[in-house]
Amino acid sequence: MLSTIAAAALPILVVTLALGGVAKLATVGRDTSPGALARLGPAVLMPERFARSAMIACSLVEFVLATGLLVVDHPVARWLPGVFFALATYVLWDLRRRRPDAGCGCFGDVSDAPVGLRSIGRAAALTVMAALVGADGVTGLPRVTVETAPWIGGGLALLLACSPEIDGVVSRLRRRVPCEQRPMPPARALSRLRGSAEWRAHAGSLLADEPSDMWRELCWRFFVFPARGDAEVVFAVDLGGRRPAVRAVVVGADGRIAGSDDHGDASLRESTPVSA
Amino acid sequence: MPYRAGERRRKLAAAVLGRDPGPAPRSPEETEPFDVVSGDILDVSPHLIILETADGEQRRLVIAPWATAWRGGAVAPADLPAGARVVVRALRGGTVAERIWADITRITGVIREVGGRRDLTVELDCGPHRRERSIVVPYRSSGRIRVRHPKLEPGYLFDAIGLLDQGTSFAHLPATSQPPYRAAAVPPPSVAYGGGDAAGVSGSAVWADLADLPDLPDLPDLAGLAEGGITEGVAYPMLEREDTGCDDAGVSCAGLPYLALGSLLRVRNVCDGRANTLPIVACGCLAGRFCDRCLECGTSPRGRIVELAACSYVALGGDLTKGCFNARVGLG
Repeated sequence: MLSTIAAAALPILVVTLALGGVAKLATVGRDTSPGALARLGPAVLMPERFARSAMIACSLVEFVLATGLLVVDHPVARWLPGVFFALATYVLWDLRRRRPDAGCGCFGDVSDAPVGLRSIGRAAALTVMAALVGADGVTGLPRVTVETAPWIGGGLALLLACSPEIDGVVSRLRRRVPCEQRPMPPARALSRLRGSAEWRAHAGSLLADEPSDMWRELCWRFFVFPARGDAEVVFAVDLGGRRPAVRAVVVGADGRIAGSDDHGDASLRESTPVSA
Repeated sequence: MPYRAGERRRKLAAAVLGRDPGPAPRSPEETEPFDVVSGDILDVSPHLIILETADGEQRRLVIAPWATAWRGGAVAPADLPAGARVVVRALRGGTVAERIWADITRITGVIREVGGRRDLTVELDCGPHRRERSIVVPYRSSGRIRVRHPKLEPGYLFDAIGLLDQGTSFAHLPATSQPPYRAAAVPPPSVAYGGGDAAGVSGSAVWADLADLPDLPDLPDLAGLAEGGITEGVAYPMLEREDTGCDDAGVSCAGLPYLALGSLLRVRNVCDGRANTLPIVACGCLAGRFCDRCLECGTSPRGRIVELAACSYVALGGDLTKGCFNARVGLG
């Protein structure tokens, strides 16, 4: 049974190590918030000028360990992840004691929540898995079989339950960046407009393919096209949601509305709060 | 006519969304803005100041007995020199001068080069739509400036209030504490997932020399190319780059919503309740890079939300030598 658990732990370890390495490198590459690296994981314990190199070194070690587990058939390659995770558990424990404000940085800046028992528990669980892999001598490409699949599922569930990052991901999914703060290139809104029924309804009267003016306010992008009879057709494209609402109106040279789309002016007034 | 294109945009947007194109009415807790007169001094006596405004009109204002004036420091209003460019906060329909700021300038930019040993010369990049400036930090002010700007090094932000004297800008007072990060590394908004509150965003409102803008290329007719520059309006950081040609726009650490040149903003001075509806007339590329807080009355949430033209700032009760007021901004 132990060998089954070890065989199930191998893919989990490889994926965790690779993910951790990629996330750390991405964090170093982004470098948006100065000093942020010095608030993450083992880099906290070093002077700020070494924070970047410590992060890169840590991610490289993780890549080497993951590769070692996959391709090197030697006891050292199997035991090293165990040593790494045991060390990580100790470092996290120490970090929690010395810098209770610092994040573990296990997955780069995603893991910016202060180190808690869950992070330490996850590192400990990974240490146990790595020790099993080392003791059992599993190596090579992981194979998912009927016996190992439930163990893989169980191991993943354990790790996810111990991951404080999940809370952040869930809150991001539940409360997305509001559409008025989301950047959206005008070209995308224009292509949305050109696929809409309002565009087809007014396309015949337009004098130009490109808008004479366009601007964005909150979740709406406005396009103005010159039209026949010295009028202008104004389109408003909603930038939120997958099936954006498009509205159109023809405005005469005198600024009066010559004709609106089928919603009618009164219903528009009701459905659109005065905000933008 | 200034802001004509902005007005046109507002009308068209109102037409297509079926809303009222005019500004929202003032709410009961908001008070009227001050009257502001700006121009060059033609003559000044202890009781009367005569100005020539940007339109060439002469304005005569009685100087109130309690009036104060600033020109590099507190001075008596009668000591202001003829020819000085002043911003006057006025009472009684703009006929009584109460506060006068003369030759005041706001020096905000990214440090490009620092030279000199006693008097420091600082080359600043003031954003793509404002000119590069060379300013002088006189020796007598350098201690004050350096305390709040410890990193006078290329790449860091600089923000001071100074005096424009014979074409040279002298930094006198630090307008804020220098951000510890480089201008290119602005921290992301801390409450990115806080949900969109279109009714209002709080933060710090600052002022800027928007009057310099029309000398510069490519802000289109929206910027209001009046002869005397922009005297009313705001510069806003969160504009779409493609629409505005502001390559540095769209950066803010206050979690602001996207708006356009020409959009109306209702700016309220939280400290004294004065509010006004002002159009966005420029890119606030640099304002978005400051994550400071205003401490005029309580502590504002971090981040600069608008840069007001000097006259608009004074009208809302701001003191030009203080550099900021706590503000709440909603859509007009």
